[in-house]
Amino acid sequence: MNEPDRKKTSHKPLLTLNSIAKAFGGVQALWNISFDLKEGMVQALIGPNGAGKTTLFNLITGIFTPDSGEILFDGRPIGGKKVYDLVQVGIARTFQNVELFGSMTALENVMVGQHVRTRCGFWSAVTRTPWMVKEETASRKKALKIMAFVGIDHLANRRSSELSFGWQRLLEIARALSSSPRLLLLDEPAAGLNTVETRQLGTLLKKIQAQGITLLLVEHDMGLIMDISNRIVVLDQGEKIAEGTPREVQSNEAVMSAYLGRSEH
Amino acid sequence: MLKFLNRDRLSYAVFFIAIAIIGLSVENYYYVQLLTFIGINTILALGLNMLMGYAGQISLGHAAFYGLGAYTTAVLTVHYGFSPWLALPCAILLSMLVAFLVGLPTLKLSGYYLGMGTLGFGMIVHIVFREWSSMTGGSSGFIGIPPLEIGPVSFSQIRNFFYLVWLTVLISFIVSKRLIHSRIGRALRAIHDSENAARAMGINTRNMKLEIFVFSAGLSALAGFFYAHLVSFISPGTFSFIVSIKIVTMVVIGGMASVWGSLLGASLLTMLPEWLHAFSEFEMVVYGLILMLVMVLLPQGLTRGLLDIYERTRSKKDQP
Repeated sequence: MNEPDRKKTSHKPLLTLNSIAKAFGGVQALWNISFDLKEGMVQALIGPNGAGKTTLFNLITGIFTPDSGEILFDGRPIGGKKVYDLVQVGIARTFQNVELFGSMTALENVMVGQHVRTRCGFWSAVTRTPWMVKEETASRKKALKIMAFVGIDHLANRRSSELSFGWQRLLEIARALSSSPRLLLLDEPAAGLNTVETRQLGTLLKKIQAQGITLLLVEHDMGLIMDISNRIVVLDQGEKIAEGTPREVQSNEAVMSAYLGRSEH
Repeated sequence: MLKFLNRDRLSYAVFFIAIAIIGLSVENYYYVQLLTFIGINTILALGLNMLMGYAGQISLGHAAFYGLGAYTTAVLTVHYGFSPWLALPCAILLSMLVAFLVGLPTLKLSGYYLGMGTLGFGMIVHIVFREWSSMTGGSSGFIGIPPLEIGPVSFSQIRNFFYLVWLTVLISFIVSKRLIHSRIGRALRAIHDSENAARAMGINTRNMKLEIFVFSAGLSALAGFFYAHLVSFISPGTFSFIVSIKIVTMVVIGGMASVWGSLLGASLLTMLPEWLHAFSEFEMVVYGLILMLVMVLLPQGLTRGLLDIYERTRSKKDQP
C-alpha cells in the first residue's frame, strides 16, 4: 500500500467542486457535492450504481451544466464551457465503453488526441507549408513516444477496431494523454479487463501520476482503487457520504452500509 | 509516411500520363465528350465524398450547389458580360456562401434529419431555378452560355476541354488527399467514427463539419461551372433531386472515404446508361440490377471491394 496524503499540504487544488447540484426532470441526480482534487493526486470516485458518479463525470467534462454550484479548474470557473474547450484547458477523458476512432490506425487515434495542441488548418493542409510538415512530423513522433510510454507502440499501424479490448483501453488512455492534459478523467478504466490486465493498468496509472498528471477515476474494482488512490470520494444517491484516504474510507460506517456492506454479503 | 507520400506521387504521375495517353489516342468525338462528363462527375462525387465518406455527414441536396455553380456562371457571363474566368470564382464563392448559411442550422442535425434538411434545401434551390424565369430562363432552360477560352486556346474544341477538366480532377485529388492526410483530415474521420469522442478530443465538431460542407459545395460549383460551359445549355432538370441521389450513388458505389472511389463511381454511373441503350425499354431495370449487384457483392463499394479481392488472391498465391 502506498502512503496516502503524504504530500497533501504541498499541493494546491487543481479541481474544486463547490456545492454542485444537478437534477434531471424531477430526479435529483446530484445534491450539494463539494470536494477538492489536489494537483498530482489520484482520486477515486466510488459509489453504488445510480449514485451519480457518471453525472458528476459529465459535469466536469462539460457534457452537462450544473444547475447550481461552481466547478473551478486551476482557480478558474469552467461550468458551462464546451466539451472541446475543456481539452484546450487541460482536461482529458476516457470513456466507459471505449470510444475509439475505429476506421483509423492506432497511431492516427493518438494523433487526433493532439488536435488542440497543433494548429494546421484547411489552407496549410493543402499548401503543405514547411511548418505544417514540421508540425506533422513532431506530432507523429510525440504520438509514438506516448504509445511507447503506455506500451502499445508496436500496434501503431494497426486499425484500432482490430485491437483486442485490453489494447483498446490502453490506446484510449494514450489518446487522452496525447492532449497533454493536467487532469485525466478515467471512466471505469478496469471494466472488462482481467486480473493481469488490471494490475498492469494500476502500474500504468501510477506511472502517469509520476508524470505530474492528476487523475480522477470512477471505478468499481476495489483492489485497483485501494492500490492506486490517494483519496477516495464516496457518493450515494446523489450525495457525498464520505471522503478520505483509502484506509479511512474502508473503515467508514456510512460507506460500509451504503456500499461495501451491500456488495459483500 | 515518406513511403506513403511517394506512393501517392506515383499514382498522380500514372494518372497524369493516363490522361495524356487517352487524350491523344481517343479519336471519336463522342467518347472524348463522355470522358469529359466522367471528369465533371468525378469532381462532383469527390466533393460529396469528402463530406459523406470522410466526415460522415450525408447531403441529399448536393445538386443544388452543382446548379448554383452552373447558373451563376451562366447569368454572369450572358446577362452581365463577365468573362467566364471572372465568373468562376464568383460561382464558387457564392456556392460556398450559400453552403455556409445553410450549413449553420442544418449541420446541427445528424443522420436522417440532416438528410431531410439537405433534401429540402435542394428542392428549394431547384424551384428557384425553375421559377425565376427572368434570370434563369425558367423550365425551358438557359441557352447561349459562351465556351471557354484562354488566349488562342479555345475549349470549344472538346479535346481541350477534356484536358482542362481532367487536369482539374487531378488537382482536386491532390488537394483532397492532402486534406485527408493532415490534422484536418484526421479530425474529419474522427467525427465520422464517433462524434462524441471527437468532441472529447477537443475537436470543434460544428465548425469542422461546416468547413468541409463549404469545401464540398465549392467543388460541386466547380463541376457546375464546367458543365455549363461544356454544354452551353442548362435547365433545372439537370440539378434536380434525382441528380442529388445520383451523386450519392456515385460515392456509395465507388467507395466511401476513397478519393479513387469517386473516380470509379462517377465512371460507372456515367457510362452505364450509355452502354445500356441496347436494352432499350429495359434499360432502367438493368441499370438498377447492376447497382444492386455491386452493393450486394461489394458492400464497401468498388474500390474497397476490388482491393479486397486482389489481396485475397495474392495471399492465396503466397500460400504454398
